[in-house]
Amino acid sequence: MNDFSDIENELKKLRPAQPSHGFLARIEQAMAHQRISEDKIIRLNRFRVNWIALGFGVAAAALLMVLAQVSTDRTPKQGERIAQSRAAPETRSTTADQFIPAGATQVVYNTRDEGLHFTGGSEGPMRRLRYQTHQTWQWRNRATGASLRVSYPSEEIVLIPISGQ
Amino acid sequence: MENVVTHEDWRSCFSELAPGLLLFARQWVSSRADAEDIVQEAFIRFWRRNHKIDNHPLLYATVRSIALDLIRRDSRRARREAEAVSESEQVVEPQFELADEAQFALAAALDRLPHDQREVLVMKIWNELTFAEIATALNISQNTAASRYRYALAALKRIFQPQ
Repeated sequence: MNDFSDIENELKKLRPAQPSHGFLARIEQAMAHQRISEDKIIRLNRFRVNWIALGFGVAAAALLMVLAQVSTDRTPKQGERIAQSRAAPETRSTTADQFIPAGATQVVYNTRDEGLHFTGGSEGPMRRLRYQTHQTWQWRNRATGASLRVSYPSEEIVLIPISGQ
Repeated sequence: MENVVTHEDWRSCFSELAPGLLLFARQWVSSRADAEDIVQEAFIRFWRRNHKIDNHPLLYATVRSIALDLIRRDSRRARREAEAVSESEQVVEPQFELADEAQFALAAALDRLPHDQREVLVMKIWNELTFAEIATALNISQNTAASRYRYALAALKRIFQPQ
């Protein structure tokens, strides 16, 4: 059946070249090295578990970043108003042709810490804070519906005594 | 089940298989040193993953995979290897221990076989794998493996016993 037996026999007489000197020793050395550090080897399946954990970690980090971004968006930028107070409108009954205060708004749009200062008469250093605000006052005539509004910028300097230093 | 194969078993297994494995690896690289690197990496990988010591198809598949990866990874190397194969003047380290002119001619004829046929021949003749094992290692059918083997022998026979 097999008419290739003669050529097969010829081929089997060919002997493959032997490995170089030290090749088997090199393999043994590599095996020994692997054996010693076997405990330190991170197996492939552990990597898989870590990748899953890493995936969750990245997802959590992304969520935190999104939340942080939302939080950041709420913080005022320089030059924007950073505080606002609005007075409650007056509800007292009034007579005709009389303007009554209808509202007051004070917007603090900048705060600057000007550091420590020694002012005359003070015993210790004072921290000087400068608030730049925009104030709006509004009056309204209930009888006629007319309103009067006054707006003006203002600046307020606050000195805070430093104690315990 | 506990693996009872000893270190000595692995050593003797490797000593026995090394020449055939190197010949197998030499199909992709022309230098013996490169072939040794491939076989070493394959064997250590095979051993570390606690495969069965007699799972030879997997060992050969590992050698093949590492050799192909090496060639893909380094295109310069692939070009160099291709040049080494194509240039007849190039000194290529012999893959066999040649005793006479006839053996030299046979080895040269072997080099001229199509790669897929030579691959099967090397696994069958010098590594003594069955067609089933060759089919598993190369991810082909047993019939394909057997056909390639027959084509290879027929081609060699035509060269040495012309009608």
